[in-house]
Amino acid sequence: MQTGFSQEQLKSAPMASSQEVIKSCVHCGFCTATCPTYLLLGDELDSPRGRIYLMKEMLEKGGKPSSSTVKHVDRCLSCLSCMTTCPSGVNYMHLVDHARAYIEDNYQRPLFERIIRNTLARILPNPTLFRLSLRLAAWGRPFQFLMPSRIKNMIDMAPQKLPPKDLFEKPNLAKTDTLRRGRVAMLAGCAQTVLAPQINASTVRLLNRLGLDVLTAEGSGCCGALPHHLGKTKDSHAFAKANISAWIKEMDTDGLDAIIVNASGCGTTVKDYGFMFRDDPEWADRAARVSEITKDISETISDLKLGPLKPMGMRVAYHAACSLQHGQQIRNEPKALLRLAGFDVVEPNEAHICCGSAGTYNLMQPEIAGQLLERKVKNIEATGPAVIATGNIGCMTQIEKGTGIPVVHTVELLDWATGGPRPERLAP
Amino acid sequence: MREVWKPQNVSELQSAIKDALSSQITLELRGSGSKRRLGRKVHSNVLVDLSRISGITLYEPEEMIITVRPGTPLAEIEAALAQHNQRLAFDPPSYVALWGASSDHGTIGGAMMTGRAGSRRLTAGGPRDHCLGVKAVNGFGEICAAGGRVVKNVTGFDISKLVTGSFGTLCAVSELTLKTHPTPNDTVTLALLGLDDVTAVDTMRQAMSSSCQVSAAAYLPEQITNHFANNTLPPHISATLLRLDGFHPTTRARAETLSNQLKSIDGHQLIPCTESRPLWMEISNAQCFSQNIEHALWHISVPPKNGPEIIDHLRSMFKFDYYFDWAGGGIWVEIKNQSHDYSTEIRQTIRDLVGGDGHATLMRTPHDLIDVAAPFQPLAPEIEAITRRIKSQFDPMGIFNPGRMYKGI
Amino acid sequence: MPTPNSNLIARRAEFVSALRTIVPGEGVIDDTVALAAYECDGLTAYRQKPMIAVLPETVDQVSEVLRYCHNVGLKVVPRGAGTSLSGGALPLADGIILGLGKFNKILDVDYENQCAVVQPGVTNLAITHAVTNDGFYYAPDPSSQIACSIGGNVAENAGGVHCLKYGTTTNNLMGVEIVLMDGTVLRLGGKSLNEPGLDLLGVICGSEGLLGVVTEVTVRILPVPEIRRALLLGFNSLESAGTCVSSIIGQGIIPAGMEIMDKLAIEAAEAFVNVGYPLDAEAIMIVELDGSAPEVDHLIDIVHGLAKDSGATSLRVSNNEDERLSFWAGRKAAFPAIGRISPDYYCIDGTIPRRTLPEVLTRINKMSDEYNLRVANVFHAGDGNLHPMVLYDASIPGELEKAEKLGSDILTLCVDVGGVLTGEHGVGVEKRDLMEVQFSSSDIDQQQRLKCAFDDQGLLNPGKVFPKLCRCAELGQVHVHGGKLRFPELDRL
Repeated sequence: MQTGFSQEQLKSAPMASSQEVIKSCVHCGFCTATCPTYLLLGDELDSPRGRIYLMKEMLEKGGKPSSSTVKHVDRCLSCLSCMTTCPSGVNYMHLVDHARAYIEDNYQRPLFERIIRNTLARILPNPTLFRLSLRLAAWGRPFQFLMPSRIKNMIDMAPQKLPPKDLFEKPNLAKTDTLRRGRVAMLAGCAQTVLAPQINASTVRLLNRLGLDVLTAEGSGCCGALPHHLGKTKDSHAFAKANISAWIKEMDTDGLDAIIVNASGCGTTVKDYGFMFRDDPEWADRAARVSEITKDISETISDLKLGPLKPMGMRVAYHAACSLQHGQQIRNEPKALLRLAGFDVVEPNEAHICCGSAGTYNLMQPEIAGQLLERKVKNIEATGPAVIATGNIGCMTQIEKGTGIPVVHTVELLDWATGGPRPERLAP
Repeated sequence: MREVWKPQNVSELQSAIKDALSSQITLELRGSGSKRRLGRKVHSNVLVDLSRISGITLYEPEEMIITVRPGTPLAEIEAALAQHNQRLAFDPPSYVALWGASSDHGTIGGAMMTGRAGSRRLTAGGPRDHCLGVKAVNGFGEICAAGGRVVKNVTGFDISKLVTGSFGTLCAVSELTLKTHPTPNDTVTLALLGLDDVTAVDTMRQAMSSSCQVSAAAYLPEQITNHFANNTLPPHISATLLRLDGFHPTTRARAETLSNQLKSIDGHQLIPCTESRPLWMEISNAQCFSQNIEHALWHISVPPKNGPEIIDHLRSMFKFDYYFDWAGGGIWVEIKNQSHDYSTEIRQTIRDLVGGDGHATLMRTPHDLIDVAAPFQPLAPEIEAITRRIKSQFDPMGIFNPGRMYKGI
Repeated sequence: MPTPNSNLIARRAEFVSALRTIVPGEGVIDDTVALAAYECDGLTAYRQKPMIAVLPETVDQVSEVLRYCHNVGLKVVPRGAGTSLSGGALPLADGIILGLGKFNKILDVDYENQCAVVQPGVTNLAITHAVTNDGFYYAPDPSSQIACSIGGNVAENAGGVHCLKYGTTTNNLMGVEIVLMDGTVLRLGGKSLNEPGLDLLGVICGSEGLLGVVTEVTVRILPVPEIRRALLLGFNSLESAGTCVSSIIGQGIIPAGMEIMDKLAIEAAEAFVNVGYPLDAEAIMIVELDGSAPEVDHLIDIVHGLAKDSGATSLRVSNNEDERLSFWAGRKAAFPAIGRISPDYYCIDGTIPRRTLPEVLTRINKMSDEYNLRVANVFHAGDGNLHPMVLYDASIPGELEKAEKLGSDILTLCVDVGGVLTGEHGVGVEKRDLMEVQFSSSDIDQQQRLKCAFDDQGLLNPGKVFPKLCRCAELGQVHVHGGKLRFPELDRL
């Protein structure tokens, strides 16, 4: 697509990179077909191709973005389904990330929305604050009817009861008790440690069992994805830098074979650190080194060769998290692992379509997220599974809201099949 | 006697039409006249006999196309195609026997303008699907062309389709380019004996849904099986016929697969090529109904699954013989009565059971009813309106085959 | 395009508020920034922001919008998924875009009658997806099938690689509901065959949005073939590939697909997807056969023999589904692959008689030298549809114009050898001015008269297909010389 950026504009590295992305789009429209919002709304403006246009206009023109551009960019889930579909290799992710940051810097949102966005960006990455607010939410539940709908919705999202603390929220090291095959760092994550500590516990048990020492590095924490998708680049870069420092320190001392991420939303971001800091001479190399050894948990286990195990006799619907299937292009590994582990794996129709979770999307765009959830659950339930497995905490909390079928992380099932405890959510 | 004009070529045809325009006279366009009894009777000042605008102008077997003039006898075309093992895939039917005439296979112009197809309509399409291009003289006296001579063509409106099946009411065609198709070197028929019509239609559906590439499916009730193909079929028992076309050894293999898939039904019989071909030709031509030429004969087109239901309803109203072609969707009905065509009953039944999704064509009108019958399903008012507008954009003075399809069209 | 009418543009606010009473909510877009997203379809060389975009959700809304536009004389450009490569949905500065994106539901899958009834915004591939678990599929498969809408397929009479055996959209279309410019709703065809009266369905299909707006589509669905197998053949000349095509057809074999790629296309595809195409070949051909297993196996043997006799230099037969897909992978990736070896490319779509392929490609190569622009060729050998891709760089001033000129020379060549201007992409705005290469003025007049029967004010998608706008009153006049026979030589009895 032709662009009209001035030479002056192109001096800015993000502008130059966005221009390259826009130029590579040939406007074929293939992306519209697999875009969840286009599927629901049928408006070009709610499709990747339409948004590319809006973003192009916004960035070329400069100044304050139009409210309609903001509305349609906000409606994008960043599920990156479009990138899987695109035959021309358009890096929509980098473009939309830039656009979100641009909007954050150049557009004044209504006060209430600003408060919500700032609060989310502050609370979610911080387990202590997040835990505290979930307790507040529990107290607030009886008074929900007094609150604006968005807040009500957030309270709805909060679990009734908080699980015990995650042992890997703080720096920790779990050594393997079999033949040692390597040493890896695990991104413990932020919201996940509060909502589902069993994921990290399962991950560590499983990796230990397969011969890996697993540590959570001093100073690592939130990957920065949540503020990043809210356009809050400063915050996200700060989180990223903290992680990079922490892991580089480990890499340069005792060495790391991999950085393991078990929330695919975070994995997509950590794998993109290299791009994020590409123009920052101080951080570029280190960021690239980190991204290079970052692996989704399913990749690592595939590399370690899980032996075929006895049949578990359980029908598992595998829900592909968008960050995994589109963001990281990992599609077969989790299913193959579950099959190796003895599960009967089924895949719902429209597996490529987002469940509506998308980070904070279900909090910011509850209506669209709700419709996507309904569609997703319908497709999953049609396969008649006993359990739903997925590789991302966001999807888990989202899908749980829509169905009575238990939702677990893929590693919980793999851990169970290899000798770990039966996942708590699965009634015996 | 009406005046008869016999143009020799397209420029004479154009002259004739210009004459008609300037002298305000109407024309009946006719090839050999073998299908003139189909549709409404034309009252015109002049009969234009197109049989001299004849001949194959281009035949390229490798390209699978043939260009012909409208007056070319079908037999001539079929003979030319046969030399290269090709044919017209839509099985152009011959109805002369239905009207008691001797065997005149008709012209290609007539076959295309009447738009009828035989049993393989279901899978191979009709004349409209095989017409790639036309040249014609329109009702302004201009020579105009549409389409082309290649299979894949979306240049301009597909006027070739509009003209095909228009009964010569839009323009006088002077040249047609058609798709040709290789003649399969084998045709076999799997016959299932003794089914009732509901089971038969369901069986035909199963067969058409299988991957055995069934090319046609028909059901002959027990009353009429003995009228077909020199007693190929056992008499007094119904026959459900599934046709397989293709390459010799593999047609039989497919027939076996199909037979296995339908093994819950008894009474399978395999009809070989030599007997299959005449059998299907008779089905396409409704030949079994050529005995009582004063009986009204209908062709009803409905969604296949509704076939038996339609027959069931008609049974309570009058006596008739029938059979299903097109897997149940094409029903031939011969009324056992010389003085009624029961058009009201038939069309009402279709409306009641399938709404707008079906229609009936009176293929043979008893002599006494010729001036009052409505052989074609009346059009919905909004469709009739656009049809009239189209007619007036092709033939503003209404000189071509006036009233052949509908009053004023 | 027709000169925009400034009086209409001045009344924009009035139109917007009237349209909002018909289509509430976000369905009427008048934000000028947002309208940019509607400024073109898959053909980006032509761009124009529409005055307003309207996205109705019901047939009643479509009908009311059209009736309103008819009454106030507002032009309407219908749009499906916006994937046209001929600019069929290029907007007008003084007209509205009527987007059918919200019509995206599958209404009825009827296995008993082997058809599916869908809304026009449903994508081509979605129909197949909806029936695939039950062993059926929808046959026409344009390469944009993932995204192109069935309504657009009807408007363009879309094709694909399997047309020779399975036909194009028109041969698989059983019925439509369309809304005419004056708001009249027509239901044509349906689940039964041989509609009475004129074949309106046949002429709606491929009418490029000039006759009506499609609001519902009934298509035939077919049982999935038991097996599909392919051969990958290399040839050291296009002539021998052409000979091979002729001998296959000559044997009475109708392959499901038959594709030829020339050297530049092979190189580009191989560099991109690396599937093992023979790089020393001047042309490769993929022949796919489908059907029941005994038949396909039998035919594969025959084709194998014919390929040898025609001088194939390399010859592979797929023995499983992965292998078959790998043969196709390079072909399917041909367009994006070309996109990666050149900053821009211009995809042309003509049809030629199959046997003229070697001659046509030789002449295209000559033109390519003259213009100093590379051309890669992909050819649907089954149905004669040729897709030359002209490689150029839009950032070099004048190169786009040069590419377009070369394109129109190639299309003229296609017509010269007995072919046509467009096999599947449509005339649209792109090839509009070439119509006179293929058709005489009286041919075009007659087509325009048909347009007049449907839309006498010329409000629906004007500026497409025809080099000149319709002049319905003038076209409707009969010029005769009154009263006497001027052609006495005619044989009268």
